Order: sequence, then structure tokens, then C-alpha cells
Amino acid sequence: MNASTPAVAQEPVLSLEEDAAAEKGTRKLRVRGLGLDRFSGLYVWAGLIVLFGIWMPELFLTSSNARIIAGDEAITAILALGLVIPLAAGVFDLSIAATMGFAAVLVTWYQSHGHNPFVGVVLAILAGTLVGVINGFVVVKLRVDSFIATLGMSSVLAAGAYWVTNGQQIVTGISPDFVKFGTAQWFDIPVPVYYMVVLGGLLWLFLEFRPGGRYLYAVGGNPQAARLAGVRVDRIVWGSMVASATIAGFAGVVLAAKLGTGNPTSGPAYLLPAFSAVFLGATQIKAGRMNVLGTLIAIYLLATGIKGLQLAGAPVFLNDLFNGLALILAVALSARSKRKV
Amino acid sequence: MTPTLSIRGLSKTFQGQRALIDVDLDVEPGEIRALVGENGCGKSTLIKILAGFHQPDGGKVAVAGVPMVLGDASAADAAGLRFVHQDLGLVASLDTIDNLALGHGYTLGRDRRIHWKREARSARAALSALGYHLDVRKPVGGLSISERTAVAIARALSPHRSEPTMLVLDEPTANLPAAEADRLFALVRTVRERGVAVLFVSHHFDEVFAVADAVTVLRDGRLVDTRPVQGLSERNLVELVVGRALESHSVDPAAVATAEVALEVRELSGAIVHDLNIDLHAGEVVGVAGITGSGREELAGMLFGGLARSGTVRVCAEVVPPQRPDRSIAAGMGLVPAERHANAAFLSASLRENVTMVDLRRNIVAGLLRRKRESSDTRLWLDRLSVKPTQPEAVMSALSGGNQQKVVLARWLRQQPRVLVLDDPTQGVDIGAKTEIHALIDAAASQGTAVLVLSSDHEELARLCHRVLVLRSGAVVDEIRSPALSAGHLTASTIGNLQAS
Repeated sequence: MNASTPAVAQEPVLSLEEDAAAEKGTRKLRVRGLGLDRFSGLYVWAGLIVLFGIWMPELFLTSSNARIIAGDEAITAILALGLVIPLAAGVFDLSIAATMGFAAVLVTWYQSHGHNPFVGVVLAILAGTLVGVINGFVVVKLRVDSFIATLGMSSVLAAGAYWVTNGQQIVTGISPDFVKFGTAQWFDIPVPVYYMVVLGGLLWLFLEFRPGGRYLYAVGGNPQAARLAGVRVDRIVWGSMVASATIAGFAGVVLAAKLGTGNPTSGPAYLLPAFSAVFLGATQIKAGRMNVLGTLIAIYLLATGIKGLQLAGAPVFLNDLFNGLALILAVALSARSKRKV
Repeated sequence: MTPTLSIRGLSKTFQGQRALIDVDLDVEPGEIRALVGENGCGKSTLIKILAGFHQPDGGKVAVAGVPMVLGDASAADAAGLRFVHQDLGLVASLDTIDNLALGHGYTLGRDRRIHWKREARSARAALSALGYHLDVRKPVGGLSISERTAVAIARALSPHRSEPTMLVLDEPTANLPAAEADRLFALVRTVRERGVAVLFVSHHFDEVFAVADAVTVLRDGRLVDTRPVQGLSERNLVELVVGRALESHSVDPAAVATAEVALEVRELSGAIVHDLNIDLHAGEVVGVAGITGSGREELAGMLFGGLARSGTVRVCAEVVPPQRPDRSIAAGMGLVPAERHANAAFLSASLRENVTMVDLRRNIVAGLLRRKRESSDTRLWLDRLSVKPTQPEAVMSALSGGNQQKVVLARWLRQQPRVLVLDDPTQGVDIGAKTEIHALIDAAASQGTAVLVLSSDHEELARLCHRVLVLRSGAVVDEIRSPALSAGHLTASTIGNLQAS
């Protein structure tokens, strides 16, 4: 995992002109080893489904259960997809969940004051964009480490959400049309799943097939080399933060529509699952890189595991436990694959 | 008298390349011995063996007559060998007391706490013994360079584990202004008066004459000679270091002198470089030579826009703004930077991504990057530069240093730049790849690219260039053209004081 500050390699003891050659023998193992690991998430996921399916077929192996898992996780997935963008560029966005919560409050508050809900949707998403612009300014222009900048921003946004709502849930005056935006079903599948699929597809196209995606990974891999290859590093960093915050704004709108309320405390709980999914996802499909498909697999792998254990009677705190352990495990795995380099 | 350091038959081989061949060396107590030689002559290997960092293939080392276990850093320390490296190894934000304690820990009282007054007293005593009186509570980042060097030496000489017998200074003056260097020499003499021998590695021959009793010359891993400084001229020493003058590679400077100016640099100034003017013609290969601290290291970054600069840079008459590598690229400039891992390689990315990074546009169809086109594009260049493996999807980090360097070179040759700046282009590259890279540079120049090569390897410059500019203290002091161009001549000119004939 790479922080945004480019570390200058300092050789502490002796200059190692001859030793570079001596090391190269140990490097070759890498390509082959990770080929097997690339799809391990899919195997584990399939294994979990089989396990719970045999354990409690009448509870677990139902189409309604599949639908619940798909629908519940779609919002986390949208948020995680937004998070892929800055993390690919080596930049943290810890304010992403708070941005989502703020947007959710904003879109319901606007309606509760009798305004047009769809203008509210646009405003909430633009509020996300604005948060991203400010994050980018603080990181790029004021040279504050992204970890600190967005940690501060998440607290500011939490305060903002409380201020707007006075600490109360917004439950009245919410348009039924707006609620449909988060609760409707097409072909028995909740609409947020479609949003997730469309967003995932677009992001995948961007990361894999547009120069911008290549630049994101280049900046995340080696910002100094990216700069000397003509990449406008500051723009990429700034843009990635605007993109993640805008997507968080959208996720907030979907969340508010799905719940039918504006809850000032709803955002933060989504932060850890999103981070877990992106880091776990980075060990999958394209090992060592934050990527769309890996992130989605990780989301549903974690959700399936948690749901299965909950159906088996496991306690509520299991959710947090599972996500926290997954995050640590995922980063440890990627640190291990980095060491092999 | 028993010599402080006695080395017999020391040899070391890296990957079939002999870095050190059967070296014998004696240093007497209280002697200041200089160790000189070109890059890659085996100096650093020798020092690393003494420090216990490398296990030699064969040979013996004795300190004050006692045989030392080799390949063990603690054995070297116990024998009293102490090392101060060029970067000094100090923590800038900590004060002198803390930095001294980094070596041996604090002296705790009976109550297990640090007695700061006593620590300050002993720190002051250690430094005043070296002739320095400084505020030991001030962060060392605020001290002058020679004061910092003194702190590092005081730490090295602290008798906590064993009495120091020999101090090894590895290019301690590389970044030192002249007045500060004089203070350091006085310090080195103070150390000698304690009976500690000093081994002094330097590229600056005037310093060797200023401070050393005798000088040992290494060349190609062999010890050439040890001479007392008395009676030795600087010219003699240069001849010893360089050996025979190498015949220069045949190039025809007349053909390029009339070509258009591809790179025009006017009044370029940076941290060290000042008021530099360069004209580079299409098809010309121009070298820049200079020792560490001469400004050679910052020149490439300044030209390309990686580092701040003042002055004008034009590529084919078009002015390129500073601090904008992207604009430099658009104007037709390319840079293969020094320190490949930090500045050029995307280690976890594929060769395809590494090669195509600078220009992705040419493989876009209908707005999307086409993997297959990129692959065949990349394969073409991997083939042309005979990179192994020739697999566009291979991971950069799996390649050897030489092949990685060729991939970086491919990235830029693919651009067919008008101006190609190469900073230390054969860094950490084996001899075979080096020859190939040289041939590629020749080929690029013959197709009209103007090439600027910055290198500390003078044989490389003599081999590649039509002419070489010699930098000293940030200014061009000499220009050596093809018939007179040789590695020996360059070495002599970079070190200074010798008038080029």
C-alpha cells in the first residue's frame, strides 16, 4: 500500500552498486505464483455457497436470500467502486462514507422542505463533487497527506450532516417517486444492483481502456516516474478525489432512497466494508492492483460469508469482525506479494 | 611496528565478474591513507568487505595483528574499524546528543533514567576533542556540513564497544564547500594524533594531496600501487588511476556540426549549475562529465522539467516551460533518468505498460486502448532492443537491471525524440547490455536525434560522444572534442587543476 507522498529510496549503509545484480535471481518467481491466486476469491466464494447450502439448504439456498444479499450490498459496492479510483492512484479517501452520509441527509432534507426531489438528487451529487474538489485542493495545493486531509474532512461532513438535521432522522416529506429510485425492482432484482453493474462497467472500461486509467495506476505505482513520463500527477490525484466523492454523493442518494429516510449517522458504517472490499479485491483478478471485478467479488464474498453465519445464528457483531479481519488480511496479503518484488 | 590494518590476498567475485582481485594492503597506526580509483574499480567492494557487509571469496584481514572474522559486521566493529559514509547516517531532526546515542545508546544512571546534563557534557567533550565547539542541543539539520560530519565521526569514534583502531571515511567531502573541507582535514589530522589510522576514500585528488600521507590506487579490482604523497604529482596520480589512455571510438564530428540546432539552452541555472549555455545539433552526441557535486546530477532534471530552473530551454526553436515534463515531451524531448527504480520504472506493471506510457494515443481506436495493438507495438520495440524476455505481459520487476534499462530506453526511442537526454544510461547494467545500449544510442543519433549523455563513466563518454562538456562547480570549464577525447583526459579534466592539453 502506497501513501501519496513519494518516498525517496535511501540506502542507509553502503551504496549497493554490485548488489543489484545479485538480487535478480530471487525475482523470477512472482509471475507464476500469483497466477494461481488470481481467482482464489471465486473459489472461496463458491466454497462458502456450497458450505452454507449443505448446512442449511432451506434457509440459505433461496432466491429471496440471494436477492437480499445482492440488494443490501449494492450500495456498499457502489461506494467501494468509487474508492477504487483514488486508491489506484495511491491516494486515500477516508471521507467517502461521510460524503455518502452527508449526501443522503441533504437529498432528504431538501425534499422535506417541499422542494423538487430530483433537483435535490442533482444537488446532493454536486455536493459530493464539491467535497472532492476541496479534498483535492487540500491534498494537491496545501500538500496535506491524503490520509489526514480526508480524515479531517469526514469529521467536518459528520458535523455538517448533524447540523442540517439537528441530529434527527428526516422521515417526513420524502417523495414516493424518490423512494422508488432506491427500492424498485426490475425482474425481481432491486434497482441499486443495476446502478452498481452500470457503474462497475463504466469504471472497468475507464481503468482498462482509457489513458486516464493507465495514468491512475502509473501514479499509484511510482508518482515520480509517472511525472517524468509526462503524466500530470497533480491533476490525476485531484481528479481521482473528485470522482470518488461524486460517486459517494450518488451512493448517498441511493441510500436515502432505499431507506426512505435521511439519517445523519448512516454513513460511517460503510467505510470499513468498502476499504476491505477494495483491498481484498486488489489480491484478485489483477493481483497487486485495485480493480473493479476483484472489488465486486470481494464484496459478495464477504457478504455471503456474513449472511450465512448470521442465518446460522451468529451474533450481530460478526459483521464488523469479519470486515475488519478481511481488511487486515487483504493488506497483509498484498504486502506479502510486494515483498517478493 | 604492527600495521593497524593488514589485508592479504583479498578477492571477491559478483556474478562471474571479478570486483576485487588478490589485494594486499597495509595501513600503519596513525597513518592517513587515501584510496582512489575510478567508479567500479573495487573501492566500495573493499570497504564493504571491511565493514562485514560482503563475505570475500578469499583472503585475510588482520587488525593490529589480530585476524578478523570476515562477513560479520559486529566482528569489524569489535576490531575497532569504524565507518563514516557519504550520507553520514544522521537524523536531521534530532540533536547531537541523540545522534551520538544512535550509535551506542544513552548512558543510564543507577535510577535507569537518562541524565541529560551528563549526556550533554560528554557530547560536548567528544566534539571538542575533534576541535568542534557546537550547541549539542541543536537539531543536526541546522548544523553546517562539516559540523555534521564531525558529529558522525565523533559517533564512529566513541569507545563504547571497543577502542577505535581505524576510521574509514567514504567520500566525506563529496558535498563540502572548500572552507568546510579544510576544517574537515584538520579534524582528520586530530583523529590521526590519537593513533587511529584513517582510510580516506575520495574522488578529489587535490584533497588527497592536502591530507593524506600515502595513496593507494585501485583499477579494475586490482591494487595498482601505493605511493607516498610526497614527491607524487597530480599528473602521476591521474595516470595511475586511469592506466593507459583508451583509444576513442571513431565518430565524425564534421558531419553534424552543420546540422540544425535541436536543443538550445541559455543561461540555465539551478541549485549548483549557473549560467549554462549549450547548443546541441541534430545527430550529435554530446557528453557531460563532472564529479559528484559538479552539477551534472541535476542537469537532466532541470532540462526536462523534473527540477526547478531558470533560463531558457528551446527544442527546435520552441521554448519549453520549466517544471513541465509533459510539455518537454510534446516538444520532442525524452529523458532516461538516473536511478531507474525511483524515476523511471513501473516495477509492478507489465512491459507493455512501461513502454507505451509516454504515448498511449497511438493505440487508441474508437476512444479505447487496444490491448493487441499495444502488445505488437511493444513486442516490436522489445525485439529491436533485444529485451529478454520478449513478452509484453512480463512484469517489469522480474527483469534484470540491464533489461529494465532497455525497456526504459525503448519507451523513449519509440517516441523518436528530437532531443534525448540520457542520465547515467548504463547504471547497474552488465557489460553485454552496456555495449548494446551504446549501439542503440549511436543508431538514434545517426537517425537525427540529438543526444545528451550525462555520465560519471568516462570511458562511456569517450566511446559515445562527439564532444564532452566538463562541469566543475556548476559551470562548463572545458570542452573536449573527438580527436583529443579519451577517458583519461576526461578524468583529469573533471578533477581539475590540470590544464587540458
